[in-house]
Amino acid sequence: MNTAVSAKPRKFTIVDTDVHHNYKNKSDLFPYMSKFNAERFAEYGYGVQASTAFNGGKLGRRIDIIDPENPPPSDIGPVAYDVEDTKARLLDNYGIELALLTGGPGQLASAMLDADFGSAICRAFNDFSVEKWLEKDSRFRLALHVNSQDPAGAVEEIKRLGSHPAVCAVMFGCGAPRPFGNRFYHPIYEACVENGLALAMHFGGEGAGLNPPPSAAGYPSYYIEHRQLRPSFYMVHVSSFVFEGVFDKFPSLKVGMLEGGFAWLAPLLWKMDLDWKGLRRQTPWVDRLPSEYVKEHIRFATQPMEEPDNPEALKHIIDWIDGGRTLMFATDYPHWDWDDPTMTLTGFPDDMRRRIFSQNALDTFGLTLPSMSQAA
Amino acid sequence: MAKKYEVCYADEIPVGSRKIVDIAGRSVGIFNVEESYFAVRNSCPHKGAPLCKGIVDGYVKGDKPGEFEFERDGEILRCPWHGWEFDLKTGESVFNPHKVWVRSYPVSVESKALVPEGAGAEAAVDEDPAIETYQVTVETAKGEVRPMLYVTL
Repeated sequence: MNTAVSAKPRKFTIVDTDVHHNYKNKSDLFPYMSKFNAERFAEYGYGVQASTAFNGGKLGRRIDIIDPENPPPSDIGPVAYDVEDTKARLLDNYGIELALLTGGPGQLASAMLDADFGSAICRAFNDFSVEKWLEKDSRFRLALHVNSQDPAGAVEEIKRLGSHPAVCAVMFGCGAPRPFGNRFYHPIYEACVENGLALAMHFGGEGAGLNPPPSAAGYPSYYIEHRQLRPSFYMVHVSSFVFEGVFDKFPSLKVGMLEGGFAWLAPLLWKMDLDWKGLRRQTPWVDRLPSEYVKEHIRFATQPMEEPDNPEALKHIIDWIDGGRTLMFATDYPHWDWDDPTMTLTGFPDDMRRRIFSQNALDTFGLTLPSMSQAA
Repeated sequence: MAKKYEVCYADEIPVGSRKIVDIAGRSVGIFNVEESYFAVRNSCPHKGAPLCKGIVDGYVKGDKPGEFEFERDGEILRCPWHGWEFDLKTGESVFNPHKVWVRSYPVSVESKALVPEGAGAEAAVDEDPAIETYQVTVETAKGEVRPMLYVTL
């Protein structure tokens, strides 16, 4: 393990809301699967292909954090597979107090045509995550993987592991045959609320398997185009959550939308609010401005942050979306474009930084800082 | 200073109907809601649309998806341009009653012509030649009084 990293000074408590952990080899999940599923997983994997075959960096990974003594296999994508290396490079180096493990297999598992197999992979990944990650460091928190297209299976999984003290969210991929406000998913939200879990969302699996194409015009050719679609992945779900009455039905439900940036949010809020003024009577259960629902219930991870030519423009954008309340810091480790916390939002007021770097995530995911619990 | 203008005979605006008139250079809509009259300015605070040409409907309420109940039927005016809803009784918008509203005006129905205190009908005419003010008590064929409708701007 290459631990030649230098400690950097830190000023703020940091909660990282998007750390991609995973297995190194598919066989890591076999112990947590039935023999039949382990054989299937060994032979065929997920059986569906993510629509982004390409990525940035080196196999999607930031090249300077590749450990030459433990290089990544070429078939697992840009994920952290070495707990000790992740602890040293990320948590220790930056003084990150809590890190939400967001994995990734759930997104593809939710696109699988065989719902039971998809749920089985999620279960196996969760058991693997508990044993190989959560139990290795008290700073890790887990977004429980479920198959969003198998609500009954997802509910069972939340009942099985949702009360684990380090599980703080349930993970959905963005791709789905129907938007997430739809009542099809409500049993999952009910289980989230009962277990005090937030819903975390991350793209991955759009256009794969049973999911529709990733855009209204089908499949873009290049990875860079696929990145531009991410706001659209979230836009459909944001308005679906609001207008299908999810937050009226589950007033305590919180949603974290990860790795989609946030500059797209302001115009969506403006548009929803204006349209609601004229169309309110068609969805009368939405009894206040849509933007108020969003600001109360949905949080957005900062990475990958837009960088306007004029840095002042970013301040306006953050102001427009009440970013001190709605944003949560995320590194997106170990992706090629992950954000260094010491270089992120440096020109912003201390109180706003404190909320974005820790408080908003603590509130959203119902977390307590280890330093706080030790003091208590 | 508020001034009272006569508009028409009250029976010219039957229940559920409206009349849009110009009063002192302002376009005003008068609505008969269940035997009560309400007047609002015929200009939407949003984009200046002719608000009073919009659909009059109820307030749609629903506690959850799939539930739609009508309340205050006939009391909600919907702008023809962008659908903003206003309470005819108060002029307040449905979505933000305290910040967005259309000007509403008092309406009265009287069987006698207005004679402003300290002045005769001629004085009112002098102040605003566009409005003709005159004695309006009319005996119908049966000898009943035909009430007149007034709007105070």
